[in-house]
Amino acid sequence: MVRPARSTIHQGSLRRGLATLALVLPPLGWLILFFLAPIVLVGMYSVGGLTLYRNDVYLTLDAWSRFLDGSVYLALFWKSVRMALTVSVLAVLLAYPVAYYLALCTKGRKYVLLLFIITPFLTSYLLRLLAWRVILGSHGVVNSFLLWSGMRRAPVEWLLHSPFAVILVLTYVWVPFVCLPIFVTLDTMDRSLLEAAGDLGASRWRTFWRVTFRMSTPGVLAAFAFVFIPTIGEFVTPLLVGGPKGFMFGNAIADLFGPGFDWQTGSVLGVFLLLVVGVVIGIFARSMRLSEVTSR
Amino acid sequence: MTLDSISRRRLLILGAAAGAAGILSGCRRGQSDPTTASGSTPTGSIETESGNLKVFEWAGYELPELYPDYPYDAPKFTFMTSDEQALAKVASGFRPDIVHPSVGYVRDWVDLDLIQPWDPSLLKNFSDLNPSMIEAGQIDGQQYMIPLDWGFSSILYRADKVDPGATESFSLFFDERYAGRISWWDNPWMMVIAGYVRGFSNPWDMTDEELAMVKGDLIDAKKVVRNLWQSQTDMETDFAADDIWITYAWPASWWAMNNEGLDVTYMDPAEGRLSWVEGLILVKDTENYQHAHAFANAWASPQSGEWLISNYAYGHANTSISLDAIPPELVKLLSLDDPSVLDEPRSHIQQWFPRRVLYGQIWSEIKAA
Repeated sequence: MVRPARSTIHQGSLRRGLATLALVLPPLGWLILFFLAPIVLVGMYSVGGLTLYRNDVYLTLDAWSRFLDGSVYLALFWKSVRMALTVSVLAVLLAYPVAYYLALCTKGRKYVLLLFIITPFLTSYLLRLLAWRVILGSHGVVNSFLLWSGMRRAPVEWLLHSPFAVILVLTYVWVPFVCLPIFVTLDTMDRSLLEAAGDLGASRWRTFWRVTFRMSTPGVLAAFAFVFIPTIGEFVTPLLVGGPKGFMFGNAIADLFGPGFDWQTGSVLGVFLLLVVGVVIGIFARSMRLSEVTSR
Repeated sequence: MTLDSISRRRLLILGAAAGAAGILSGCRRGQSDPTTASGSTPTGSIETESGNLKVFEWAGYELPELYPDYPYDAPKFTFMTSDEQALAKVASGFRPDIVHPSVGYVRDWVDLDLIQPWDPSLLKNFSDLNPSMIEAGQIDGQQYMIPLDWGFSSILYRADKVDPGATESFSLFFDERYAGRISWWDNPWMMVIAGYVRGFSNPWDMTDEELAMVKGDLIDAKKVVRNLWQSQTDMETDFAADDIWITYAWPASWWAMNNEGLDVTYMDPAEGRLSWVEGLILVKDTENYQHAHAFANAWASPQSGEWLISNYAYGHANTSISLDAIPPELVKLLSLDDPSVLDEPRSHIQQWFPRRVLYGQIWSEIKAA
């Protein structure tokens, strides 16, 4: 047997190493430049390691202590958490039956129907928001109907520029997206388990609760995380339909970087939100792994 | 240990090094004095300049009708969305030749060492500009801003639905009779208005006690507010849709709503209207010093002013504009036939906020409360 020369093996390994480097370097560089570096820069602004304006204080934790010491921003954060939780729960509750129907009750055209459901995502987010303003306004579709039908004598004003409007619009926006992960888990589920449950005498409700829902838990958790994480930092929707009571944590961050002229506090809020989102992702990732294990 | 694993480790080290280099360059950019570029000088001739004038401008102000006599290549425009965004962008490295901010921010631009004074002798139309506005654009005797467009900031209300009482006042913003029909501008200027309602001597620079009172007033009054607007278009949409009857507005909104057929009044409150002035500032070390002056001169012309007033319903700093060419409603709206219209106490020209950060923080707290 002829053994290849040591230098040939070395050259082959080197070539593979360079190929790996060439493949990995662009996305890694992209991540470092446009994800990690900005986060580090914002982190440095938050402790005064970087300053932009003349009044900014260099190297201080004052902004952090002001924020954590019962500031209005902390209260605003909890308000945003409550709103994000409400939106996430509503979106999952509304999306689940749709995903269930598509995955388990339709046969030939499920993917065509799925495409129809996610069609709103192909239109402008801003356009959809502005459409809601037309629907919810004092002379919008809803109020016009209420007045025409005699159900109300005056328009319902809390429909627009209110926390209700923010929750409604965000739920509407996320429902189609939330359908996807739930649909995938239900669609790939082993149907023989349902038959087995039926054969063993389980009722339809019991089969759903003990088998179908349990099997779809990873999709439900993923869907919940998909909504909760972006919603907690949302600022465009509250800006357009929220009114003074719909103001959220994301709006405070945008404000501090804008008219607030206070990049330091804005960075503190931004880093805090990032940390919270990181923790939430960690918890969900762990839960999903556990639920995958228990569902097998 | 395989060669592949070594490569990955090296890769990570390379990546970390690249990231660190990027961050350090960012740090330097954040703290350095941006005066290293070689700029053209006041004594240089226009022929030696590149002529690729870069203007950081409000959307809608890029139209050539606003600089009709500018004879050189069309400038390249980048659009600003607010004074704060423009200042932050240039402070962090963006380099236009000219920016178009509000007069209340000029000192911030000077403090950050981002701009240089104009040479008014190079502007033929400069002598026709409103003296009060020229003065507002000066710092330490230097002309840092060429004032161009201006307007009032006051209350626009539906005359057919709102009774402002015997005396028109900014307190209509807080009137519980119209709860749910009132819209404020999402800006610390609302604190200035609350300061004038309280009768403070200088709401642009309030004391801690005055700020605490204003903050309390606005938090209390927030319950009557339907919306805080950031976009003029959004506000006008709400107003036209009958969602809002009383709003903070600029004169252009009166013009727009009047053209919609609504019965609207633009208030002249007892406290005096606020007024804003905007103009051009010259970025330090510009490579187009002479072109920039030619552009500012074109903007300062009466032709530019006539077009601006007639089409956007904003005032123009040039005082030699023929009022015959302007629709009479706009002459009345902006009191263009009254040379003292911007004088105190009838009007309060926008001032620099010495405590801008604190104002911003308090405004955020008012909204978050």
